[in-house]
Amino acid sequence: MPTDVKMPQMGESIYEGTVTKWLKKEGDAVKKDEALYEISTDKVDTEIPSPVSGRLVKIVVAVGSKVPIHTVVAQVEEGSGASSTPAPTPVKVEAPKPVPTPAPTPVRNLQPVGALAGQPAEVIHTTTARFVTEESTEGVFASPLVKKIAKDEGIDLRTVKGTGIQGRITKEDIIRALESKRGGAPAPVEVRATPTPSPVPVQPTPAATHATSAGRVDVVPMSTMRAKIAEHMTMSRRTSAHVTTVFEVDVSKIWSIREAEKTDFERVYGTKLTFTPFFASAAIQAIKDFPIINSSVDGSNILYKRFVNLGIAVALPEGLIVPVVKNADEKSFLGLCKSVNDLAERARSKKLAVDDIQGGTFTITNPGIYGGLFGTPIISQPQVAIMGLGGIEKRPVVVNDAIAIRPMCYIVLSFDHRVIDGAVADQFMARVKQLLQEWTTPIK
Amino acid sequence: MARKTQPAGDASSISPELKREMYRYLRLQRAVEERAEKLYKGGHIHGGNFSGRGQEAISVGTALALEPKDKIAPMIRNLGAVLVRGYSPKDVFSSFLAKATSPNGGKDNSTHFGEVQNRGVIACISMLGTLVPVMTGMALAAKLKKQPIVTLTYVGDGTTSTGEFHEGLNIAALYQVPFILIIENNQFAYSTPVARQTPVKDLATKAAAYGIPYAIGDGNDVFEVYRLTKKYVDEARAGGGPRVIEFKTLRMRGHAQHDPADYVPRELVAEWEKKDPIDRCEKALLAEGLMTEKHRDDIIARINTQVSEAEQFAINAPFPDPKETVRGVFADDSIVPYTPWEER
Amino acid sequence: MGREITYLDAINEALHEEMERDASVLLLGQDIGPYGGAFKVTRGLFEKFGDQRVLEMPIAENGIVGTAIGLAYMGMKPVVEFQFIDFIACGFDQIVNFAATSRYRWGVPAHIVLRGPWGGMVRGGMFHSRTPEMWFAHSPGIKVVAPGTVRDAKGLMKAAIRDADPVLYLEHKWLYRRLKATLDDDVVTPIGKANVALEGDALTIITYGAFLTLCLDAAKELAKDGIRTEVVDLRTLYPLDRAAIVASVSKTNKVMIVHEDIRFGGIAGEIAMTINEECFDKLDGPIVRVTPPDTPVPYSPPLEDAFYPNVGRIVKAARKLARY
Repeated sequence: MPTDVKMPQMGESIYEGTVTKWLKKEGDAVKKDEALYEISTDKVDTEIPSPVSGRLVKIVVAVGSKVPIHTVVAQVEEGSGASSTPAPTPVKVEAPKPVPTPAPTPVRNLQPVGALAGQPAEVIHTTTARFVTEESTEGVFASPLVKKIAKDEGIDLRTVKGTGIQGRITKEDIIRALESKRGGAPAPVEVRATPTPSPVPVQPTPAATHATSAGRVDVVPMSTMRAKIAEHMTMSRRTSAHVTTVFEVDVSKIWSIREAEKTDFERVYGTKLTFTPFFASAAIQAIKDFPIINSSVDGSNILYKRFVNLGIAVALPEGLIVPVVKNADEKSFLGLCKSVNDLAERARSKKLAVDDIQGGTFTITNPGIYGGLFGTPIISQPQVAIMGLGGIEKRPVVVNDAIAIRPMCYIVLSFDHRVIDGAVADQFMARVKQLLQEWTTPIK
Repeated sequence: MARKTQPAGDASSISPELKREMYRYLRLQRAVEERAEKLYKGGHIHGGNFSGRGQEAISVGTALALEPKDKIAPMIRNLGAVLVRGYSPKDVFSSFLAKATSPNGGKDNSTHFGEVQNRGVIACISMLGTLVPVMTGMALAAKLKKQPIVTLTYVGDGTTSTGEFHEGLNIAALYQVPFILIIENNQFAYSTPVARQTPVKDLATKAAAYGIPYAIGDGNDVFEVYRLTKKYVDEARAGGGPRVIEFKTLRMRGHAQHDPADYVPRELVAEWEKKDPIDRCEKALLAEGLMTEKHRDDIIARINTQVSEAEQFAINAPFPDPKETVRGVFADDSIVPYTPWEER
Repeated sequence: MGREITYLDAINEALHEEMERDASVLLLGQDIGPYGGAFKVTRGLFEKFGDQRVLEMPIAENGIVGTAIGLAYMGMKPVVEFQFIDFIACGFDQIVNFAATSRYRWGVPAHIVLRGPWGGMVRGGMFHSRTPEMWFAHSPGIKVVAPGTVRDAKGLMKAAIRDADPVLYLEHKWLYRRLKATLDDDVVTPIGKANVALEGDALTIITYGAFLTLCLDAAKELAKDGIRTEVVDLRTLYPLDRAAIVASVSKTNKVMIVHEDIRFGGIAGEIAMTINEECFDKLDGPIVRVTPPDTPVPYSPPLEDAFYPNVGRIVKAARKLARY
């Protein structure tokens, strides 16, 4: 009796997934836990291991098909025997939106920056919902505002009860519908516009989505990952009141410590001593003094986390992924260093588990590696802050009224001004700076 | 401007250099306007083209009676005054052709340009009479600041009917400001002869309603124009208040180049052709031995060269950048421009 | 400063202070000298600054405006009074053809201030109640301001005098002695910036001039029903503060424009198009306006009262919009 291989549920809110690549052909041998196929979901792209050792006898769901979770996608005959049951005919489920066949660069284990570990449900409906607009607003009495919210959030207006004059769907009606869709968690529907000082429209310029000048425009459908990034970035911006503060840090002390210790460190502990654990350690210590940095917003409540799950953004050729060091606040410097390196390595070799990218409470990202002075990162919802590290560069600075050459680094904090005020953000960063400049933590 | 003015008080005789200068400017105005007529026919000048032919003595004689620090507002037939005040034929053609090299950047037409501090030329607009209160105001400022500045502008016979002619003169007289108003009676306001414009024959008499001293002179005699104007300018500068001078002349072309002016009796034209201001000035200079025929020919040749070069310059000059359309309304150029909805 | 003053006092104070600060500021108008002006707005200035700075003029609005332009060309800062703003029509030519076009056509600005008592609700009839703002907002090159508070009466007069371009300053006669306030600081109100006179979230009312007072009274009424109205005071009509309009509409999603100017060609049309162009998707209801009808201002009290919107009418429209 062959074993069914079923589409897994990659996260509590996921209800479907797309098969993006089969790593084995029908008839190939496969070992238990060996990677059998790759999938893409709204949360994560990842490879799925075979549940048993044996032979892949039937591929049921072809590449490009999006199926509900728990759907049988393949069958593996355990042991070496051939299966006697007839293989079911392959099911190709037509997706409402054609998912592009995997491009030459496999899209795996990629998490867009600024999203989404422990992401509440609102993100999922993206692909199917994009086509709700035209059909769902026809004949429905709703204002421009209501129609826009419906389109952005993927709500079919035909399902919304209108309590306005003549049954009109009002702003309150659609917000109520949105909240109940999100399962009670009052979602911050951003209906405010940033006041524009110049006559620039609040509405984003409609991009040319179809070739208007024949032959001169290439139409490339977004990959699932790109579409998710687009969705997550704009959602984060709509949710949080983003402010960024910039600090300059004299990293000469940690620089010299690292220079002195790195060789021994690697030899003794088998892991590289990078700058990341220094910044991570300083951030975690500072969070103890400013716990609001490590919180999240739930309606009109602030949830202070009593633990720090530190997300560290990792740059991959295909994009960015943010694995999370769980309970980073309980780790020693060495422990942090090892965790960070381990996660980075597994991210690059696409061996991250779903749990590795969920549950973050604070994130550090390093946009400075390409030479920029500093960036203005987007917060990873539902966190309320993200720290960005600039490149380390030697610069002339004033020390005791004289010019000195020091390795300097800009660090930034993008924070959610709903709950973090500028003064608090700056005090937090000042503490981080102080900890880095006066480094006293033993590193081994 | 390199020229000498007569010493104050000596208005009865004009120096030979000044006379020759008058002749040159008369010739220059005529040459520029004749060339402009060709440019209009060639499609280089849009809208309308206006000629002061036959009236050059008024423009040149009055402008030369002023000092560089005085302020003048020439009207569209006072091209000679514009040239006396230091604008070149290149400037004038650039403006007529609405090129970027125009003193007003192509924003307005004809001779609607100027500059206050150095040239002291105020740009006129198409509404007639508006400059009477404006130049009154400038003269008032001079008086309040105790500056020995005189202001001068022109009106045609038609403009003496407008409200602003009267409002301006009334205020000028009340405040006794150093303002000279030249009434250029060329006998026609477009197709309306003076007799159907206003009941009085001598228009300067209207100044009497405001107690303003006035004079009437031959507008085709540049020396008389100069002497009368200089006398009044000196009086105004000395604190005597406003003055009005009416100069009689005839408009020798239509209201604008597109107007054949058939309503002007041919005999009238023939009569005034004999009084052409340039011919009379030339004859006087030759007769007084202040200019030889060779000298005259040189002047004309040099003027023709200058005008030809200016014409080429203007024809070759670029048009203004369309982006200029939304600039210059206010000091703050960010107020007006916007992105149309279809461009977003 | 420091004591309670009226809207009219505030204008008088601004003139005093500006004439003190800048010797090139001159006043022109009828009866503005020893008589102090028809409404006494120029009270005390002739005595303090003399007849070389306060210039009484004959009845000749075009002539006076032209004279002011000439003074401006010579570097002075004239402030022209129209005894009633209705008479500005007699100076229309100089304002729209000469002054407004000056900087654009030959690069020399005609920086004059034109001021006078506008608006009605004073039983003045059609020649003493005019709302001329759109004639001049429609003539490129003129800025148009209309203070609705004591503070802005002073601040906008100062700003107008200091502006490099021609400014029409509309002082509302119904507000002259009705509004009082204590100003404890020097104020120069920026031209081109609206003010949120009252914050709210249910709907936005956009207004200016005397009607700001009516709209704030309406907002108080509406608050009793829990309708929190946001009131935006335009203060400047040209250049219009489009950003402020968009910000408020984006916040409340419902908007009503209330003005004293007649319906046709009043600024409500321009504002509605602005909202349509810039934030259509933020609208949760139609753009509403409350204005007088397209008639001259009638004289007889019941006719005049039917002409002008009152607080009741504003409240009724706001309630209907809030319910939409």
